[in-house]
Amino acid sequence: MLRRSLRTQITTRVVALSAAAAVLLGAALVVLIVAVTGQRDAARTAFRSQQALSLANQLEKSLLTVESGLNRYITTEQERFLVPVRRELAAFPPATRRLAELVSNDPGQQRRAHEIGDAIKDYDELWASLLPDVARQDFAIARAQVKTSGGRDRLDAIRMRFGTLFDRERAVIRGREHNANQRSARAIGLGIGGLALVIAIALGFTLYLRRSVLRPVRAVAEATGRLAAGDLSTRVPAQREDELGELARGFNSMADSLERGREELEHSNAELTRSNAELEQFASVTSHDLQAPLTTISMYAELLERRRGEPRGGDLDLVDGIRGATQQARTLIRDLLEYSRAGRGRLSVEEVPARLVVEQALEALAGAIEESGAEITVGELPVVRADRASLCRVFQNLVGNAVKFTKEDTPHVSIDADRDNGDWRFSVRDNGIGMNPEHAQRIFEPFQRLHGEEDYPGTGIGLAVCERIVDQLGGRIWVSSSPGEGSVFQFTLPAAAAAGSEPPPRVRASA
Amino acid sequence: MRRALGLLAALALVLAGCGGGSDDDTSTGQQVAPAKGSPILIGSKNFTEQTILGELYRQALEAKGFEVVLKPAIGSSEIIHRALRRGSLDMYPEYVGVLLSEVAEVRARPRSAAAAYKLAKVYEKRAGFTMLAQSRLSDANALAVKPRFAARHRLHTIADLRRVPGKVRISALSEFNTRFEGRVGLREVYGLRNLRVTVVPSDGRYSALEDGSVDVASVFTAESQLAGDDYVVLGDPRRLFASGHVAPIVSDKTLAAHGPDLRAAIDAVTRVLTTPAMRRMNAAVDLRRRKPAVVAGEFLRAQRLT
Repeated sequence: MLRRSLRTQITTRVVALSAAAAVLLGAALVVLIVAVTGQRDAARTAFRSQQALSLANQLEKSLLTVESGLNRYITTEQERFLVPVRRELAAFPPATRRLAELVSNDPGQQRRAHEIGDAIKDYDELWASLLPDVARQDFAIARAQVKTSGGRDRLDAIRMRFGTLFDRERAVIRGREHNANQRSARAIGLGIGGLALVIAIALGFTLYLRRSVLRPVRAVAEATGRLAAGDLSTRVPAQREDELGELARGFNSMADSLERGREELEHSNAELTRSNAELEQFASVTSHDLQAPLTTISMYAELLERRRGEPRGGDLDLVDGIRGATQQARTLIRDLLEYSRAGRGRLSVEEVPARLVVEQALEALAGAIEESGAEITVGELPVVRADRASLCRVFQNLVGNAVKFTKEDTPHVSIDADRDNGDWRFSVRDNGIGMNPEHAQRIFEPFQRLHGEEDYPGTGIGLAVCERIVDQLGGRIWVSSSPGEGSVFQFTLPAAAAAGSEPPPRVRASA
Repeated sequence: MRRALGLLAALALVLAGCGGGSDDDTSTGQQVAPAKGSPILIGSKNFTEQTILGELYRQALEAKGFEVVLKPAIGSSEIIHRALRRGSLDMYPEYVGVLLSEVAEVRARPRSAAAAYKLAKVYEKRAGFTMLAQSRLSDANALAVKPRFAARHRLHTIADLRRVPGKVRISALSEFNTRFEGRVGLREVYGLRNLRVTVVPSDGRYSALEDGSVDVASVFTAESQLAGDDYVVLGDPRRLFASGHVAPIVSDKTLAAHGPDLRAAIDAVTRVLTTPAMRRMNAAVDLRRRKPAVVAGEFLRAQRLT
């Protein structure tokens, strides 16, 4: 249980911090929404109040229109001046009701609006609607009424009420705007504070991630890099009890495992190397040591043949048998010794003109070539970096095979070289018996033969020696062939350094 | 014109002593009926005494539990009576003589205050209104001069003004020019054609007399300025100024809606109104600048009406 809670420690912190930030953001948003709503309400109220003020102004104007119309009517005695009077009087009741609706909800303003409505109603019913009646009876009386009990006083009183209404409404608007602004400022402050807090939490969260998560993760990543580079002793601190501690412990465990694996591998490798060395030593020593008794046997067989003077039929055959078998054993041991030595020891790599090496090999094979009547063609050959003796052995073996595995007709062997990217590719082409392509790999293995001893003598070690030498010189060797069609043995060697930009010197040679 | 003819017929009946219509006279029903429970709208004209009268009736009725709305300073009789007729008011206190002369346009002069009251009552009843009991208070139209002017021209009555040489300068309210109980009646009843009227505000009538810019002032008999011997009120032998008694006019609908208690409450106020009392109240407001509502309230408490 404790382990589980420890493992979820970082997750818990991340979730808690995210939730706190979300709650703060939400709260800031709510506060801003409240502020915006307050502003909108204030704007609506202000708009209504503006409408109220506008309507009140209109009413004042209408009252003046009525009074002016009445005065003109009783002065000029022309009925047409009553038209606007009647129109305005008819419009008063709905207008005063609308005014009461529009003024702010302040009780004083409501009362003032109703009082104005009542005063306008009185002005209408107790003066403006009556005066035309008086005038129709006697215009002179009406004119006297205007002077003694005119509507002017009533209008002045109503205008005073309007003035109070205006002042109070403006004060109410200002008060509400002030309140709305204060609320808005407070809300914006709270919103900004909330956002700042969220940003602070985000920064703290980032620092926390950087310090508590990223650094340990980066340390593990760097350690992984060192591990990949081969430093298996790399370890990371694993004191933490959370997920990262678990990661570090997992990493260290993996590094321990890798280190143990490498130690075991090195141990096995050393054992294998030692075993190979011993085996090769054994082969070398054995083959070397076997040569001596075989030489002795061969020598005694010859002595026996000489001392007998004239050889006697059957005995002589036996001695020939001994000598032939001994020779065969010597050849086998020589080849074995050659194979065990091939690719071992220090090579003397230098820039070697391939043509000279080929000539040297052909000289060594002069007997076999002459015996087979083969025609050897050597193309232009470059200078390569190689060990002269080893390269000579390669050509010697390949050309030797070419003149050995022949058909009835005259063997033709051609030696050429071509550029192959940064290497030189040498080819030894013959018109011999060829082979099945499926055997193309097998023939490079030691003592692998495709034909019987009686058909083509040999121990089957030559191509294995070639592969070992080419491999040691940094190249590769392969064969392209089919039965009866001859074979093409090719191998690559690194070009000489000087041959990098200039054409290599080519030597024309012929046997 | 038709209304004037109808009124003359009614007037003829009254003058012939045949009696007027009773309270049961058919109403023309022009006014809007007040709903029971709605406030009683009391109006008053636009001068001090009327303002005080309006307050007296308002406070007395409210003391009796009636809901009242007072609409003061509406205007002269020509205006306020129309408002009553239209239903914009339920009652207002009126001067019997003014009603007859300026509203009913009665030109024949009643023989007495009682006759005038009876005539006015009939006139209102025909229209669906009731003129309740009239007060002892009389505040009639009159003409006043300075004693020195009266002595110089040996003036006793209005008719004597004809002896004044040249123009007789009168300070008056503007309605004086068009009223029967004003310039019209003075010409028709007393044959005064040498009048030069100077229209002034209400409080300018006496000051014009004092500064000598006029010879005569159009006054009301209950005005406080007439309490002393500063002015001589000219006699009215031909009863041009019919009656100065105050009588509230109430719509029959209102009386019916509120029952006999309303009439009793109104009559109780009217009954205690006397000319000296009214003159004191007018003086308190006009000269001592006291509030009409306060003055009225004090009077009602003294009379045990509130």
